[in-house]
Amino acid sequence: MNKTIIININSIVFHIEEDAYETLRSYMIEIKRHFGNSEDSREILEDIENRIAEMFSERIQTGRKEVINREDVDQVIAQMGRVSDFDVEIDDEPRAEAEPKAAFADQAEQAEPQQEESKENKEQNADFGFTEYLTSKKLMRDMDDKVLSGVCSGLGHYFNIEAKWVRIIFVLFFLFGGSGVLLYFVLWAVMPKATTRADKLAMRGEQANLHNFKKSFDEEMKGVRENFSGAGEHISRGARSVGNSLGSFFSVIGKILGVLVLIWAGLSIIGMFIFFVFNVLNIMGYTNDLFFDPLEVLDPTSAFFAILAGCAAIIIPLLAIFFIMLRVVFKTRPMNNYASMSLLAAWIVSIVMILYFVVVTNQDTNQESTISVEKTIEPKDTYILSENDIRVIKTTDEDFNNNRENGFKVGSLVGNYLRKDISLNIEPLDSLKAPYLQYNYFAKGGSYADASNRAGKINYSVKQEDNNIYFNSHFTLQEKQLIRAQHVHVNLFLPVGTKVIIDENLQNKLREIETWNCKAEGNSKTSEWIMTKSGLKCILKLEEEKAKAEEERLEELKEQKKEKEKKAKEEADETKKDKTEATSEDKESSTVDSNA
Amino acid sequence: MIAENTQTQMRKGILEYCILSIISRGEIYASDIISELKKAELLVVEGTLYPLLTRLKNNGLLSYIWKESTSGPPRKYYQITSEGMEVLKRLDVTWKELVFAVEISLQNREI
Repeated sequence: MNKTIIININSIVFHIEEDAYETLRSYMIEIKRHFGNSEDSREILEDIENRIAEMFSERIQTGRKEVINREDVDQVIAQMGRVSDFDVEIDDEPRAEAEPKAAFADQAEQAEPQQEESKENKEQNADFGFTEYLTSKKLMRDMDDKVLSGVCSGLGHYFNIEAKWVRIIFVLFFLFGGSGVLLYFVLWAVMPKATTRADKLAMRGEQANLHNFKKSFDEEMKGVRENFSGAGEHISRGARSVGNSLGSFFSVIGKILGVLVLIWAGLSIIGMFIFFVFNVLNIMGYTNDLFFDPLEVLDPTSAFFAILAGCAAIIIPLLAIFFIMLRVVFKTRPMNNYASMSLLAAWIVSIVMILYFVVVTNQDTNQESTISVEKTIEPKDTYILSENDIRVIKTTDEDFNNNRENGFKVGSLVGNYLRKDISLNIEPLDSLKAPYLQYNYFAKGGSYADASNRAGKINYSVKQEDNNIYFNSHFTLQEKQLIRAQHVHVNLFLPVGTKVIIDENLQNKLREIETWNCKAEGNSKTSEWIMTKSGLKCILKLEEEKAKAEEERLEELKEQKKEKEKKAKEEADETKKDKTEATSEDKESSTVDSNA
Repeated sequence: MIAENTQTQMRKGILEYCILSIISRGEIYASDIISELKKAELLVVEGTLYPLLTRLKNNGLLSYIWKESTSGPPRKYYQITSEGMEVLKRLDVTWKELVFAVEISLQNREI
C-alpha cells in the first residue's frame, strides 16, 4: 500500500506515489536551477513539463495502471536526461565557455558575435544560480530541531545560520521591548511545518543535484569550500555542548514565560467576562457601579450589542493568545480549523459593529443646541453657595415636606434620568447692577431641531432662600431619552464687592476657582470669597497678601531706618577721623619744627 | 579539458544545423526531432533539445503552433521561418566548405 499525491502538470492531473513525487520534484528543482529564471527559461521549463506530462499520460492505462510510480519517474528522467547530461551535450555550463576563448584564439575573430552572446548568457546564469539558491529554499518550521515550535531553526536553515544564534537574537528582542514575541507568533502562524522528506530538503535547500552544484565550481573554489565547511564544523562542534545547555535553558525560560502569559490571558478573559455581565445588567436596568460610560449614548438594545462587540473584540485575541500558549506549554492539539475560523469571523464582525456604532452615534451628535435662560435673584451683601444633593432626603431640614416630595420624585427615576454634567461659573458685574443667574442647557442631535428638543427637556434650577443659594446636584430629563452630551452650564453674575461663602461640596461644579486653596485652619467646610473686577478673590488670601504687604512695608521702613543710622554713623566716623588726622599732622609739623 | 571543450563546441554547432535541417522538411513535433537525432546518435537525452529550440525560436529561425493531441496535452509543432531558411542555406554552404577543409586536412591521416 502506498500513499499517493495528486499533482497537476500543465493542467493535467496525475496520481503519483509519494516517493516518486519527491524524486520528480527534486528533479524539477534541479532543472529550474540549471536554467535560471529568465524569460527563456520559463518557456524551456514549460516545454519540459509538457513533455513529462505527455510521457506520464502515455504510461497511464485507464483501469489497469492509474498511478505514476517511482519506476515511471526514473524512466522519464532517464529519457529527459539529468542536468549533468545536458552539460556534456551543450555548453550551458559557465566552465565550458571560460576557456574556449584561449583555446580557439585563432578562430576568435570568426566566432566573436557568438562568444559575446554566450558570455552574456553565462553572466545571467551565474546570477540566477545565486538567487535561485536562496529562493529555492523554503521557510519552514523544523520539527526535528525545535525548542518551542521550530521557528528559529527554520529561520536558521533559511539564512544559513545556526539555529541557536537565531534563538539568542529572539530572546534579546524579547528582553528589549518584547517585540520578539509578536514577531515570533506571526512567524509561527505563517511558517508551515516541514513534515515530509521533500519539505525538509526544500527547507535546507539541499537538492539532489549537489554534485551538479559542485561541478560548476572549478577546483580552486572547491578547495576553498572544503576548507570553509571544515572550519565551520570545527567551530560548531565546540559550540554544540554550549548550545545544548542553552537550548534546555531556553526551553525552561520559554515554559515559564508561557505559563505567565497563559495566566495573564486567562485572568484577562475572566475579567472581561465579568465586565461584560455587569454592563449587561446595567443596560437591563439593574444599576451598578461597573458601567462603561460611553455606552449611555446608545439605546439599550444597541448598547447590548455594542458591549457584546466590544468585549468580543478584546476577548477573542486574548483567547487566541491563551490557546497558543496552551499549545506551547502543554503541547495540546491545535484548535480545529472551523473553531478558529469562526472566531476570526466573529472578531471581524465585532470590529465592524464597533465602527458602525461609532459612525452612527457620531452622525447623531453633529448638531449642537444651547438654550439660555436668565433669572434674577434677590440682591444680598453675602451669598452662601452650596450643593443640594437631590438623591438625599433631608429629614432634618426645616422644609421637610418640600424636600421629601422632591426626594420621592427623584427616587423613582432610574440612572439614565439623573445627570451630573453641571458646571458653574461666578462672574463679576458692575456694583450697581442687580445680580442674576444664567442657565445654559446644551444637547446634541442629528439635526438642530433634534438637539434643541433635547436641550429643552433638561430640568435644572437653582433655589434661593435668603442668603442661601442651593445648586441641585443633578439635572433631570423629562423623559427617557438617549444621552447626547446633555449638560448644564450656570453663570452666576454678582456685583463687585459681594461676599460669597462657598461650601466645599460645590467644588465638583466649579471650574475656575479652587476652594481647597482658600480655607482657614480648623474650618474645612467652607471658603470665603469676595467679588472683584477680575472675578472672585479669596478673602483669606487677600488678607494674607495685605498682611504680607504690611510686613514688607514695615521691613522696608526698618531697612530705611537702619540705612539712615548707618549713614549717620559713617558720617560721624569720618569727622572723627578727620579730626585725629589733623591733630597728628599738627604733631608732625611740630616735630619737624623742633628738628629744624 | 580542452579536448572536451572542443568537442562541445563542435557538437553544438552541428546540432543546431541538424535541427534546422530536420525542421526545414516540414512541421514536426519535438519528440520526433529527438528520435531522429537519437537515431543519428547526436543526442542522448531529450532535455538538451528544449533550450536549443527555444533559442532558435527566439532568434526568429523557428516558429511553432499548438496542435491537439489524442493521447495527452496539446503539442508544440515547430516550423522553419523564411529567415531560418536563409540561415540554413548559408549553413549549407559553410558545411560544404568545412567538409572540404576537413577532408583536405585529414587526407594523409588514418582515423
